[in-house]
Amino acid sequence: MKQNTFYVLAGIVGLIEVGAFWFSVQYLMPFLISAIFIAGVVLLYAAWRRISDRQVDERAVLINQKAGMATFMVFWVIFFATSLGSAVIGLGAPSFPRPPRPSDIGPELLNQSTRQPIDGLGLSNESIRAPDNGLIRLGHFGYLQLALLFLMFFLYVGFRIYYARKYGEWETDEEQD
Amino acid sequence: MKNRIKVFRAMHDLTQEALANDLGVTRQTILAIEKGKYDPSLDLAFKIARYFNVSIEEIFIYGETS
Repeated sequence: MKQNTFYVLAGIVGLIEVGAFWFSVQYLMPFLISAIFIAGVVLLYAAWRRISDRQVDERAVLINQKAGMATFMVFWVIFFATSLGSAVIGLGAPSFPRPPRPSDIGPELLNQSTRQPIDGLGLSNESIRAPDNGLIRLGHFGYLQLALLFLMFFLYVGFRIYYARKYGEWETDEEQD
Repeated sequence: MKNRIKVFRAMHDLTQEALANDLGVTRQTILAIEKGKYDPSLDLAFKIARYFNVSIEEIFIYGETS
């Protein structure tokens, strides 16, 4: 397989992944996009190994290693920091039912002068309890993770350019012409 | 690390591309070595030395930067 054919295949797989993501969201099937994403990566890896005109030597390997390691170090710190934040959210969540606090109740259910819950409406605690938004927060953490992964992708490209430049990728001499 | 690859190439009338092909690396790697931007592995250094039938010390001079 030619290297350009691989890039075309990668584009097609990317489009399929986007379509699968849309389908998963529409029909609320989170495992579908996970499975298709893994299948896509496996397919691209298999195709990448079959590229016949790929020219990789020790300098290219060194550049990739350096860029990958630098990206991993940054990723580790940022991902650990955000994971600590999410752990705080998880640990702060109540593990038993509790009566609603005034801040859990919508403003329409508070006495506007005393800021206390309005009694006598015939509402039980169950009916006025704020919805548990733990799942919503989990989904937001997914957005954050995706944003981090995209950031790492661009960071890798940046490091790749930096190390390629350092090890003479774009050096020119009299033989260039 | 300083090296004399360019001199040996000239002596053998070789282009960077030809040397790179014979050694199984890219032309950019030969260029980077010649310009002192990249120090080759021991394996590649020995390959280069054997290619020109000289000792490794005749091509690579340790401790100097080009």
